[in-house]
Amino acid sequence: MAFSTTVSQRKHIKRKAPRGFLKRVFKRQKPHLRLETRGDLLVHLNCLLFVHRLAEETRMNAFENKCGVIKKEHVQAAAKVILKKSRG
Amino acid sequence: MADSYDGDSEPTTRTLLRRVLDTADTRTPRRRRSARVGYERALSESASNHTDYGSGLSRIHGNVEEQTPRTLLKNILLTAPESSIMRPESVVKPVPTPQVVQSSRRDSSRGSLELQLPELEPSTTLALGLLAPGRRKQRLRLSVFQQGVDQGLPLSQEPRGNASASSLTSSLNLTFATPLQPQSVQRPGLARRPPTHRAVDVGAFLQDLRDTSLALASPGDSLRTPVATLPTDTVLEDTQPFSQPLVGRSPSGYHSLPCLSHTEVEDAERAISHRTQSSGPRLQNHSEYMGHVAQRSVRTEKSKRHREMSEAVEAKEPEGSSGDEDISGRTGKGPSVGMRDLSSEPLEPLPTRLPPRARTPGPRPRQDPHKTGLSHYVKLFSFSAKMPMEKKALEMVEKCLDKYFQHLCDDLEVFAAHAGRKTVKPEDLELLMRRQGLVNDQVSLHVLVERYLPLEYRQLLIPCAFSGNSVFPAQ
Repeated sequence: MAFSTTVSQRKHIKRKAPRGFLKRVFKRQKPHLRLETRGDLLVHLNCLLFVHRLAEETRMNAFENKCGVIKKEHVQAAAKVILKKSRG
Repeated sequence: MADSYDGDSEPTTRTLLRRVLDTADTRTPRRRRSARVGYERALSESASNHTDYGSGLSRIHGNVEEQTPRTLLKNILLTAPESSIMRPESVVKPVPTPQVVQSSRRDSSRGSLELQLPELEPSTTLALGLLAPGRRKQRLRLSVFQQGVDQGLPLSQEPRGNASASSLTSSLNLTFATPLQPQSVQRPGLARRPPTHRAVDVGAFLQDLRDTSLALASPGDSLRTPVATLPTDTVLEDTQPFSQPLVGRSPSGYHSLPCLSHTEVEDAERAISHRTQSSGPRLQNHSEYMGHVAQRSVRTEKSKRHREMSEAVEAKEPEGSSGDEDISGRTGKGPSVGMRDLSSEPLEPLPTRLPPRARTPGPRPRQDPHKTGLSHYVKLFSFSAKMPMEKKALEMVEKCLDKYFQHLCDDLEVFAAHAGRKTVKPEDLELLMRRQGLVNDQVSLHVLVERYLPLEYRQLLIPCAFSGNSVFPAQ
């Protein structure tokens, strides 16, 4: 299902879920397990939310440092926090 | 001119025309006259039968020798369309005014041409007048003319008749063509392209292959044109500087050639490849390509004739670098000559693309698809951040994503094992999200799905009731 909601920004963000990629990643990690059809969509949703949170945290870090550009340190610090949160 | 008066006048076209001439002298604008004449002529024509018109022809031609306006008028009548009633504007006809008559005569003879290109000669309104109705009335005129011809009118004999007849015939000849041409002339975009005679080329190539096995292919330029000039000529005329090595190989070439005749397409392709490869300016490129293609061709096994053909082909190549030939000859075993030719074909127009194709595509790094998949989420990250990012930061994001995926899979495995399953189901995912804190009592999974996923995915995930007491997706 190829769909592309028109995004009025410079970068055209695709809303498609890389289902093949997700399935491949899961297979590579856990070859003895199977992933259901609709499961990968939810995995995609999870990834989206993760990325959102990560980006938000990174932005906050950059703002705290009064930087106009996101740097590696910001990302690293944010990743630590968010990954801990996402452990489940 | 108005004084010209014929005794054998019948109360039809001629009289009308004469009347018009007499009365039209005073008026300068041609259109008016032509309008009048055309109108009257239309009336007369409508009144008279076609046969009458034909008889009028005979009458007219009796007076052909006279270079009188009337005769000119008659010619115009002959050449010009008959019934102008249908088209009021067609009434604007080249009425034979004294000056106009001569020009109209010229136009009548030229009318054939102008019929083809009506709009291209705006200078002569007469021509336009002739053309506008002429195009539509050619069929009528043809029938009339045929009748006249059947009646045994010596149209073609008399000089004046020649002019008119030639114009008539030419115009008649054009009757069938003009309907098509004016369109193309007016709208060049609608003109049909000449069909590419591919079949003919193939046959010609076969002929060439058989006839001139030794002769190196003619320069590829001749082949470039789809409607190629006969390759035979070019091949025969071609004098390749490296024709000597071919002599020794000619027998093999001969052997292979008849075998190749089976697949005409392949032959054509080969011919094309020969010719293109042998072209001077492309020598080097193709030599390189030959070597690479040979390597590639090694992989595919083909019939023996292909092998022979490859040898012959390679023998034919006027490569300065014989090394490539050797390579190709050696590795020519089971080469897909067709493949090579096929591949060479697309190469022809883009010799600059050779280097990329020459590279043997090795095994892609395993990370590549992984990276491309991750890049999707990296782009999402950079979009969500709404701030410029450094390259290192992006790489860091990639690492984070990798770690995240690992954690994700581990968690899902645990959950599935906890449920005693070996398949990860959406329930496991929901549990994961609940544990992550994304889904709680206030915010359900469906809400998140609706918020973040596009409609198509939402339809797949959230069960919805449809008509007929059906729920999709089925639970």
